[in-house]
Amino acid sequence: MMLALLTGHDLAAGLVVAQVATPLAALAAVSLPGIVGRPLSERLTTGLVGTGFGVAFLAAIVSLAVSGLRGFPVEVVHLGTLFSVGHHAATVELVADALSLPYVCFSTGLCSLVAAFAGRYLHREPGFHRFFTLLALFGFGMNLLVLAGSIDVLFAGWECVGISSTLLIGFFHERRTAVDAALRAFITYRICDVGLLAAGVVLHEAVGSGDFARVFAGSWPTASCLVPAATARVAALLLVFAALGKSGQIPFTGWLPRAMEGPTPSSAIFYGALSIHAGAYLLLRCSPLLDATPTAAWLLVAVGLATAVQAAIIGSVQTDLKGMLAYASMTQAGLILAEIGLGWRVIPLVHVISHAILRSLQILRSPSALHDRHELAAALGGPPGRSDGPLIRLLPAGLRTAIYRTALDRGFEDALIGRFILAPVLGLLRTAAAFERSIVARLGGSHDVADEWHRDRGAA
Amino acid sequence: MSDFEQMLVLATATSVLAPLVAALAARLAAGWIHPRVPAGIGLAVSLTAAVAVAQGWRVGPGREVLLGPGLVGGSLVHIDGLTAILLPLVAIIMLAIVLVAPRRALTPEAVVRLLLGSFLTAAIMTTSHPVALVVLWVLSLLPTWVSTRSTPGGRPTARAYAIAMISGSLVFAAGVGLMVIDPPWAAKAGTTGAVGGWLVTLAVMIRKGIAPFHSWYPAVFSASPMSTALAATMPQVASYAAIRLLVGHADGVRLELIVLSQAALLTAAYGAALAVVQPDVRGLVGMLALSQSAMVLAGLSGGLAMELCGALAIWISSGLALTGIGLVAWALESRAGRLELNTPQGRFADAPALAAFFLLFGLASLGFPGTLSFVADDLIVAGSLGDQSHAGALVILATVFSGIAVVRGWFRIFGGPAAADAPRHQVLRRERIPLIVLLSVLFGLGLWPGPLVQSLEGVAESLLLSRRSTAAPIPGVHP
Repeated sequence: MMLALLTGHDLAAGLVVAQVATPLAALAAVSLPGIVGRPLSERLTTGLVGTGFGVAFLAAIVSLAVSGLRGFPVEVVHLGTLFSVGHHAATVELVADALSLPYVCFSTGLCSLVAAFAGRYLHREPGFHRFFTLLALFGFGMNLLVLAGSIDVLFAGWECVGISSTLLIGFFHERRTAVDAALRAFITYRICDVGLLAAGVVLHEAVGSGDFARVFAGSWPTASCLVPAATARVAALLLVFAALGKSGQIPFTGWLPRAMEGPTPSSAIFYGALSIHAGAYLLLRCSPLLDATPTAAWLLVAVGLATAVQAAIIGSVQTDLKGMLAYASMTQAGLILAEIGLGWRVIPLVHVISHAILRSLQILRSPSALHDRHELAAALGGPPGRSDGPLIRLLPAGLRTAIYRTALDRGFEDALIGRFILAPVLGLLRTAAAFERSIVARLGGSHDVADEWHRDRGAA
Repeated sequence: MSDFEQMLVLATATSVLAPLVAALAARLAAGWIHPRVPAGIGLAVSLTAAVAVAQGWRVGPGREVLLGPGLVGGSLVHIDGLTAILLPLVAIIMLAIVLVAPRRALTPEAVVRLLLGSFLTAAIMTTSHPVALVVLWVLSLLPTWVSTRSTPGGRPTARAYAIAMISGSLVFAAGVGLMVIDPPWAAKAGTTGAVGGWLVTLAVMIRKGIAPFHSWYPAVFSASPMSTALAATMPQVASYAAIRLLVGHADGVRLELIVLSQAALLTAAYGAALAVVQPDVRGLVGMLALSQSAMVLAGLSGGLAMELCGALAIWISSGLALTGIGLVAWALESRAGRLELNTPQGRFADAPALAAFFLLFGLASLGFPGTLSFVADDLIVAGSLGDQSHAGALVILATVFSGIAVVRGWFRIFGGPAAADAPRHQVLRRERIPLIVLLSVLFGLGLWPGPLVQSLEGVAESLLLSRRSTAAPIPGVHP
């Protein structure tokens, strides 16, 4: 009787829905009182968010166990159609399969742990409620992204993850560096989100729907692509573009080390564990498109490996622990993307989960690094030594210095983008904005602003 | 006329006339009671009646109501799906402005101008008669001009506005006159009607601030009270006129619509890009409004139901969201002075509630999931990509820049070190409630968009049907 109940479709669907609904309920519960001017107490806030994640985690574990007993069948939960116009419909579907269930287990598990950690770590911090509201938004977005049964739902989750990430990077809003880092991350996200948005539209145009069940045939990891080859090629390249930005890969590496400006618990879960691997998850979910597009797959391998090498070198010269861990995360994310490009499916999934758990632990421990080092020194009877690797010692001194300088300047990537992309674009826009003001001034009979424009143009 | 239609007309008349009655009351009671009271009551009545019209249209037989004298297909009173959607939008925007506006900005004269503007705007949304459109088009410009002119330092902008609007009005009147004489969609249309169509297109571009006639648009935001700028731009009178005179008769004005859509697309991307480098918050809101308004026109000129639905959805979502952003910015300005964006202003510490409202309205304007703009962006991107790929690319570019501009604005206003002696600004209840209601509408329609999208699809289909009825296909050009 019990087994029949456990294997029933309704229960399985209910469990899947609970994994999304409970973080959403927690988000509503902690954010709405704040909006009406009556924020909750710290204890209640932590309790609500922790309970939301805890229930989601339990539901995920039960789902995984039940699904595993049944051999991981694909369970599609259709929640309805958000809207439809003609043949274009935005359906809300969740999918529980061999990819999403393990992933959601570890993501909700990590969220639960980080919520418990942050409840003490951020005690009496002025932005306590803001942090937990954004953490709940992130947890909801992540679960939506992972369990998405259509590209529309995945995009919604992706956006929630992006905006919560941005706002948590800028959590310490009184610091100029935090504000600038948050804006930089958002700009990168926004540019790369174009890839996912356009890929969704392309898939909608091809099959009339964004449901994965209509884009792919079979179950992960052996699913195949149902869309025409040309469509698959365009969609795959767009998805790779989106994933590169979210995972901090070349040429979008600049935002990731700066993102460590946020509070340690959010750094751990976003840039050590979940957000940085959202791109990898996207590509795993849409892997049949990569299988049908060798160009995109090889591009992924090349960019992933190049980023891994670059980040490993730059990370080795970092002088702050969180910066070093950010580059270590970037290295592993690059390797994971390269593995996906090579056509592996289960190995990258295992790599993501193991790396995320290790890295988030390291980042959560980072505020205690000095204490740990002192303990280690006491145990060893002196400071722990450090030496360059054997490969570095084989290089000529001049080359070593050049590599060191390049690494200190983060591979000159930021400087090149700033000089050849940002500066010309911003210069052009500022000139245009000043020109607009001068036109109004001329029409209005005021020549001061017009003269100012001529001065600005001369300066530009 | 059936009982149902009589009720619909009565509700429409109530919605249109309530602001006029409130303006009279505010004028007569000046000195006795604060003008916000009659204005709030009048606009609340207007909103209630407008919601009744919308609900009546949704559950009713769906037959348009035409009353009064007609001319070349237009009627003095024209109530259809478009009216049912736009009347509540106008009323809720005006009510939010009146309730949130700082006390010192609501002089009796300012309130009367705002209410007259509301009355004229609502009246435009209920007519399709060419002469009535011209008269109301001209009259609805006056409150904005007077308000800008009477603002300290606003005279240069008022002059620039007057030059643009007088030119636009003359062109509009001439164009409509020529179209009445020789309707370009008639079987035997001649050159006169074609010239009329082009002149109306030009007038719409000027009034909508479509490039290269856009410079007055952000200037009004910079130099006028926020209430004036929002009331003048958010209802998008020119889009309505374009629908009644051009979009609904696309068979006769296809080339005009193509020019209009391409110029609007470029303006949408250009305005959003310039929003990224604005030096103050008023410039930011002005440029975002310019971009969103152009995107509405670009979508309306498209050839697919999805594009039209997306355009109408952006009309609503951007109207509500940008009104919210503008009002929050105004509330903050009234407490803390002019808000620069070149450096972080550190306003979070002293105005956390306003920071939250600004952020939520910002999210609601940049296509965040769960808001109406998510639905609108999805429809317009999918529609425009399906129609013309370069249009889709420009729409995406505009959404990317808009998002960056909003988040930059938020971080620049609220981020950065706070002044040590900055007072903590509370949000008043009369501010908080309208802002929460606006947010509820944006998020409610985003989470449950089905009924609204269904209504928008009905409007889009009827527009496309009226086009197809006589249109002859042109190779390579959408109908």
